[in-house]
Amino acid sequence: MRRCLDSLYRASLVAAALSLLLILGIVLLQVIFNLIDRVMQLSGSTPIGLLIPSYADFAGYLLAAASFLALGGSFRAGAHIRVNMLLRRLPDGARRWAELGCLSMALVVACTATWFFGKLTWGSWRFGDVSPGLVAIPIWLPQSVMTLGLLIFTIAVADEWYCAWRRHQPAYQLAEAAAEQALLERAGGEL
Amino acid sequence: MDDLLTAVALLALLLLLLGSGLWVAVALTGVGYIGIAAFTSRPAGSILASTVWSSQAEWTLVALPLFIWMGEILFRSRLSGDLFSGLSPWLRRLPGRLLHVNVLGCGLFAAVSGSSAATCATVGKISIPELTKRGYDQRMILGSIAASGTLGLLIPPSIIMIVYGVAAEESIARLFVAGVLPGALVMGLFMAYIAVWSLLHPKKVPPAEPKIPLRARLRALRRLLPVVLLILLVIGTIYGGIASPTDAAAVGVAGALLLTRLAGDLTWAVFRDGLLAATRTSCMIAFILAGAAFLTAAMGYTGIPRHLALWIKEMQLSPFVLLAALTLFFILLGCFLDGISIVVLTTAVILPMVREAGIDSIWFGVYLVLVVEMAQITPPVGFNLFVLQGLTGQGLTNIARAALPFFLLLVLAVGLLMLLPGIATWLPTEMAKH
Repeated sequence: MRRCLDSLYRASLVAAALSLLLILGIVLLQVIFNLIDRVMQLSGSTPIGLLIPSYADFAGYLLAAASFLALGGSFRAGAHIRVNMLLRRLPDGARRWAELGCLSMALVVACTATWFFGKLTWGSWRFGDVSPGLVAIPIWLPQSVMTLGLLIFTIAVADEWYCAWRRHQPAYQLAEAAAEQALLERAGGEL
Repeated sequence: MDDLLTAVALLALLLLLLGSGLWVAVALTGVGYIGIAAFTSRPAGSILASTVWSSQAEWTLVALPLFIWMGEILFRSRLSGDLFSGLSPWLRRLPGRLLHVNVLGCGLFAAVSGSSAATCATVGKISIPELTKRGYDQRMILGSIAASGTLGLLIPPSIIMIVYGVAAEESIARLFVAGVLPGALVMGLFMAYIAVWSLLHPKKVPPAEPKIPLRARLRALRRLLPVVLLILLVIGTIYGGIASPTDAAAVGVAGALLLTRLAGDLTWAVFRDGLLAATRTSCMIAFILAGAAFLTAAMGYTGIPRHLALWIKEMQLSPFVLLAALTLFFILLGCFLDGISIVVLTTAVILPMVREAGIDSIWFGVYLVLVVEMAQITPPVGFNLFVLQGLTGQGLTNIARAALPFFLLLVLAVGLLMLLPGIATWLPTEMAKH
């Protein structure tokens, strides 16, 4: 079960990273197209108007997909910021209850968001909504990827909740501590 | 009166949730939901879904992960070492000597990275041990590096400017350009202070190192040149209106990859770690922006910002008094909240009031970033203080005290910005002309 969940988070994070790579590719290609046009214009010939159709839409949807697919993995990696100044001062027992409280609220928000985003996606699919650009992209496509990302995020939060309930340290808490440690070691090596 | 009570209750709830360690994005979303569900008759859930959707799939937002990625790549390269060896031969004769490396190095790194903590860590990693070894005053080293690191927020490309631009629906290109002169001003103030301090305390400054011939100095600078060219390319194309910030960011990432490849630093591990770190960081910020967009919509439905704006209008405050009050409020808030939270809360609640008072929102963006810079070096929550604590093992209060003179210089910079708003607005206006 543990390995199964970990590979789920890992896979969605990697998919998000690949989306970023794809975004870079699309934007760079369009920049090169613009350059070719500019050069042709300067050299006196008529620019051919090279264009990746709807590239801004594609990049935007890929970004939304990337951001949401990365939610679960980033959460467990302690990347989502919070003010843990007070939490860190609590003794272990109280800290556990406080973390459980935070995780419970996060779980409620994650469930709500997943449910209503799923409804929105369902609506887009039923009404056949498409993007306004040159290429009519069905918007349920990026939306369903985002719903999937929210679902994985909800699973990650539930996972951490259960972990804290069983009196283990949640992964994000370990990651937060490890990040501080890494910074210290990095400094120690240099000084 | 009811509205005011609602506003105070919601804001108190939000600060309570944030303070108790709830993730920022979750807290924003939760309070937005409660605001709509408790005080209006609108369907909170479907508003949540639709605002999140429309805030996320955005072309302008695409610049965000790309600029973060560019910084992550260069953060992992040998740039920090090159900064010190390239800059230090030029600064030996100035009053204050190598302390200026902190300011200039941070200013340069700020132009490739949009993050304050990364700037502080990258430059500090090399310059703190080098300066300590040479016997420079510890307080001046720590203070100047803590404060100069915050330039990462002001000098374009800046992550927090993108956050403000997206949340306030302002042009990111103009915001970037608006940050250039104030960034130079802050650097100038810091360097002037270092020079004056050194002239007043000659005994605390180590003797000048031997002069290096011009040719050697130029050779030391050569390793920095490609990065400087990359910076000029990225910012220049945005200013010239040739490229959108997103295009420029993509070119920046490609350039950063190329430079690290040519320097022989680009291993698979560096590439993978940089990309994954950028994915996580941009996910974190996108999540906060989604929560902030929902909170802004929720606030709009409750009518709080509108009433707040009206209330301010009735009080007939001059913009100057309003800004002075806001500055105090932000400094207080900055002691407990991180920069991104301050910016998104401001755009959700305070921005309508600021616009009502006739304050230009590009100018306000620069002002806000300057105030957030101060927040990075005020205890107990100041990210640069944490970074330096990690780098040096010194106590938080010690570092904060060392940074205090520079904090006051930032206050001075805010004052100058209020007196001469052109510092921020002149360049974007010029840009619009061509």
